[in-house]
Amino acid sequence: MSAPVPSQPREETFIEEMKRYLHLGENDAILLKRLLPRLEKHLPEMAERFYAQIPHHPGASRVFTGGQAQVVRLKSTLQAWGRGLFNGVYDEHYADDRFQIGFRHVRIALDQKYVISAMGVVRSFLQEKMFDEFPNRKERLAYSQALSKILDLDLNLMCDSYFRATMAHLQTLNQELAQAGLQLAEANAIKDEFLAQVSHDLRTPLNSILSFTKLVLDGLCISPEEEKEVLRDVFSSGQLLLRLVNDLLDISSIEAGKLALQLEELDPRAVLDSTLPLVAVQAASRNLRLVDETLEQQLPLVRGDEIRFRQVLLNLLSNAVKFTPSGGVAIRATVDHAQGFLRIEIEDTGIGIPADKRDSVFEKFVRHDPAALSGITGSGLGLAIAKRLVEMMHGKIGLEGGSKGNGSIAWFTLPLASHAQPPEARPA
Amino acid sequence: MNQPAPQGRKQRIIIVEDNALVAKFFQMALERAGGFSCLITEDVPGILREVAAGEVDLVLLDVSLTNAEWDGRNVNGVELCRLLKEKSPRRLPVLLATAHAMSGDRERLLESSGADGYLEKPVYESAQLVAKVRELMA
Ligand code: HEM
Repeated sequence: MSAPVPSQPREETFIEEMKRYLHLGENDAILLKRLLPRLEKHLPEMAERFYAQIPHHPGASRVFTGGQAQVVRLKSTLQAWGRGLFNGVYDEHYADDRFQIGFRHVRIALDQKYVISAMGVVRSFLQEKMFDEFPNRKERLAYSQALSKILDLDLNLMCDSYFRATMAHLQTLNQELAQAGLQLAEANAIKDEFLAQVSHDLRTPLNSILSFTKLVLDGLCISPEEEKEVLRDVFSSGQLLLRLVNDLLDISSIEAGKLALQLEELDPRAVLDSTLPLVAVQAASRNLRLVDETLEQQLPLVRGDEIRFRQVLLNLLSNAVKFTPSGGVAIRATVDHAQGFLRIEIEDTGIGIPADKRDSVFEKFVRHDPAALSGITGSGLGLAIAKRLVEMMHGKIGLEGGSKGNGSIAWFTLPLASHAQPPEARPA
Repeated sequence: MNQPAPQGRKQRIIIVEDNALVAKFFQMALERAGGFSCLITEDVPGILREVAAGEVDLVLLDVSLTNAEWDGRNVNGVELCRLLKEKSPRRLPVLLATAHAMSGDRERLLESSGADGYLEKPVYESAQLVAKVRELMA
């Protein structure tokens, strides 16, 4: 070798190594070039032989989706490939062309076994023709060996394309798997955090129940009135605990996809009228005005689940009352006929929520009540549940700043019955 | 039900606890035991004023606080404890209330806060709380 030795030893390419392994040298290249005129005339027959085999194999013939025209075309493609065997230049371009042919077969999902066997058909056909072309054994031998080497090389390139494609596929799968693993770990961390928060939140009212009960049992109250007061705290802690457990059951059945909604036509008037009294008492006890501004309005029918509609309304209303020390809470409704929804707004004059925190209140356990206004807080799940329920009813929910600069507006939408009807229920 | 209060000046305890019901239990347990007068607050400047005036005998401090602010930011029990120790003109025992889940961190909390003792929440037994407070005041 007179070529200058590269300073950095370069890794041998696939074709370089295979040529070395098969002892396919310059001499073979010259012999193969000389073979072309002798074998070219047999290539049409080779193509026929090649395709005669395939109809007997359903797994092989199923890749021909282009009918007879495709087979005709492929027969000439195969002849072109056959001529290429004898071009004498077996370099990287040659390898590249062969890899592309291999990948083509991977893409049409042709099993490797058919390509290997087809190569065998080609080999025995060409070697058979060698006997006709070179009756003299001595003369034939070197040519025959050169032919054998190039066919080996092509088989190797074909098989390696299958291997490369498989590796690339595995790599994609691995990446997907790693990605899925990351997502799982993240979901798990969120679950852990959730669990820690839940156990803390369950324990807090439970502890109050236990410690206050013990106080009474120990006879530490100075009067029956004080005893009553302490028992009231026990009672409200019990209520809080119950609310928390109910909310937890709700959120977990929603998240497990087990909460089935009954979507039907609803009169929002009826839902409002039956829900408002539930918070009216709460509002009155805190001297808050509760104003239903929708009373004068004709409200269109919506589509939703009655129980869940009421639950959302009640969650938003009692939240508004809870975080409003003075002033009032107003209920408003607007109809968007073009987009097809009813929007219900609940505005309070309460402590409000900073603009950058307004989205996060709909996440689980995010509280923006400056803790324990009265020592009793919600489950921290109310808004998260409301959001999921509204979305299950195909509506939207959000929080905005109050119209007079203080307080906030909680709103949600529900599709109008006239818009959201399933096709079979649409009036003729 | 009645427990006679001992004669003389009552000992002043400040309860810094963000859960109103827990704070209420601490107060009732201590005041019924007799000899203590409690104030529940998270108002840091107010607490420091009383402490600086030497009017406080013990501070019962929750580790996690929600509304305690100093220097324009929220402070937790550990930071507040260091602040109290720094401002107090005399020995001021501080009892740190730690949640059950924090058991692994307890020694570290005690050390970094400089508190005199800790109380493991939840506390159901008022006697246990009173005993701990008396022990620190002795
Ligand atoms: C020695 C084995 C084989 C060789 C050398 C060979 C060669 C080729 C070549 C050169 C192409 C054209 C590639 C391109 O357009 O990119 C091709 C395409 C194709 N081959 Fe093969 N092939 C072999 C085995 C097989 C076998 C066994 C089958 C089916 C049983 C088959 C089915 C096809 C089909 C369906 C196409 C795609 C045709 C299209 O583009 O419409 N091949 N083959």
